[in-house]
Amino acid sequence: MRRMNVLGLALLSLGVLVTQATVGWTQAKPPITVALVAAMSGGSALSGEAIKRGLTVAIDEINARGGLLGGRKVELVIRDEEGNPSKGVTAARDVIERERAVAVFGGLHSPVGLAMLPVFHELRVPYVGTWAAATAITRNGRTPNFMFRVSANDDIVDHFLAKHVTEKLGKRKPGVILENTPWGASNQEGLTKWFAKLGAQPVGFEKFNWNDSDMSAQLLRLKNGGADAIVMVANAPEGAQVVKSRAKIGWDVPTVSHWGISGGRFAELTGELSESVVFVQTYSFFGRQSAVGERVIAALKAKYGVKGPEDILAPVGTANAYDAMHLVALAIERAGAADGAKVRDALENLGEHRGLIKTYRRPFTLEEHDALTENDYILVTWQGGKIVPVAMK
Amino acid sequence: MYALVALGYNITYATSRTVNFSQGQSVMVGAVIAYALHVGAGWPLVPAVLVTLAALAALGVLVERVAVRPFLAASSIAWLLATIALGIIAENVTMLLFGKDARAFPSGLARKPWTILGAGVYPHELLVPAVGIALMVLVELAFRRTLAGRALRAVAFGHDAARLMGIDVTRTISVAYALSSVLAGVAGILLAPLLNVSATMGTTIGLKAFAVAIIGGIESARGIVVAGILYGIVESVVAGYLGTGVREIVGFGLVILVLLARPWGLFGVPAPRRV
Repeated sequence: MRRMNVLGLALLSLGVLVTQATVGWTQAKPPITVALVAAMSGGSALSGEAIKRGLTVAIDEINARGGLLGGRKVELVIRDEEGNPSKGVTAARDVIERERAVAVFGGLHSPVGLAMLPVFHELRVPYVGTWAAATAITRNGRTPNFMFRVSANDDIVDHFLAKHVTEKLGKRKPGVILENTPWGASNQEGLTKWFAKLGAQPVGFEKFNWNDSDMSAQLLRLKNGGADAIVMVANAPEGAQVVKSRAKIGWDVPTVSHWGISGGRFAELTGELSESVVFVQTYSFFGRQSAVGERVIAALKAKYGVKGPEDILAPVGTANAYDAMHLVALAIERAGAADGAKVRDALENLGEHRGLIKTYRRPFTLEEHDALTENDYILVTWQGGKIVPVAMK
Repeated sequence: MYALVALGYNITYATSRTVNFSQGQSVMVGAVIAYALHVGAGWPLVPAVLVTLAALAALGVLVERVAVRPFLAASSIAWLLATIALGIIAENVTMLLFGKDARAFPSGLARKPWTILGAGVYPHELLVPAVGIALMVLVELAFRRTLAGRALRAVAFGHDAARLMGIDVTRTISVAYALSSVLAGVAGILLAPLLNVSATMGTTIGLKAFAVAIIGGIESARGIVVAGILYGIVESVVAGYLGTGVREIVGFGLVILVLLARPWGLFGVPAPRRV
């Protein structure tokens, strides 16, 4: 028995040696690993899939051009954080320490992004957010700051939403309903600030927990408080319940939402009620596309069987991730090494880049780690289960 | 709806002094199978519901056979962990087969709300207590009038005595588990249009239903029904006036208070001390 074991061990190690040798032989240049840590499952699973598609399309382009740093291919590893901050922390450590990722892309959930923040600073690898919008992810007071974002920033979104409610809709007494998480708190702060500056008086800030099913009590309080519009900060499952509860209490008011609802099956869960909600996006694949837009749509059609822009689910995830990957690639080239800290430095000093969402003059600076600004946001709604720009409805 | 699930705890506890801690997952399995048949495969509602309930009866028997009977024979309380484990397995199997997304379960009764006394209510929400109470009456009647029901009650009274009367105790316990699973399944199907269907929808329901069973007195079916309704009212009142954030705190705080004051539950009878 013992003999067998020794023999087996010997064979095994021989096997390992042989495999290692072949790998070394066929791939002279090791790949450069980037990672995605995002919600690939749960109520916001669509967001993770959308981000993965954006990253993959960009990586395919980069590899088709011959890779980075003189012929090294880019490889993507993906971890599911299930919307759970502690799983996100474990996953971030895992992809950096074991998979040697030089940059980590983040997903939809802000609490996860915030929880992972210390890990990136400790292990000195940049995080590039593609969805989660909490203000404090990028504006965190750290120097050097390892957190970057090609996505919306709550503070800017809140200004955008507050402006829409007060100036476009002419409402002065909005009622706010938001999730009881750090992401909700981030928006409560922003909305309080911007509504005050724009001369509106929110009648209340109501909260709900993840997986809550009935929000009529909170909405009734807003209604009885005399609210003339609803501002909602929610992800798809809870956002759906908010809208259903609103219909249940028979309250017909303009409903304006942050974009979390576009990361899941909001339209399926709410049916035609979804068309009563307008919300924010950073990009729309509808309408006239730039050359880059045409190229991305063509790639999505070829690779994922997408038929047209209406088939691109959770489009901001794809658009943000696509641009984020190209910016990271530029930074890796500029850094001249697959090294997290050097890539971070390079990100702050990139030149002009013609991206999908816009042409970035200088995407990130020492002070500004958000590549997108309010001018890049657009207002959209649902129509027949697809996201379409409000202007086109 | 808590009462329906809690009644399942009552039935198995009465007959075998054990409880199926995967009741919450049975709720979820009911909703998911009904979704898969009705929405996924496009079956009409009635056969989909019947097949779902048959599947749940089978699940109940399976739980009893795998996670309870072997341990009961050894007078071990390992059934407690075993049923929880089965519940977690059920949840994860569902995630693999069904995915982790929440899906919508359409109901013609949950589309247009009615206005009653100024409050909006989906007709479906009224269906839940109506079906719940009807089922409980039915179960109660079946217990008293049918042979199988009498057997269940006899087993509840005492295993040895029942055995002496020629009742197959093991089979009766198995039936009790099937029945409790079916009740949970009914709750799952009823709740699906209101809560959306997902692999994790059952966990809190199972826990809260157990709280209800304890508050009402786990051996008292009527106590459970009353406690179930009370718990639901307390929850919505608290959520309405104090906010959802404190709902769970008040709800479970209440459980502890009741247990301190009346360890045998609101409607239970204190166990006589045997000296």
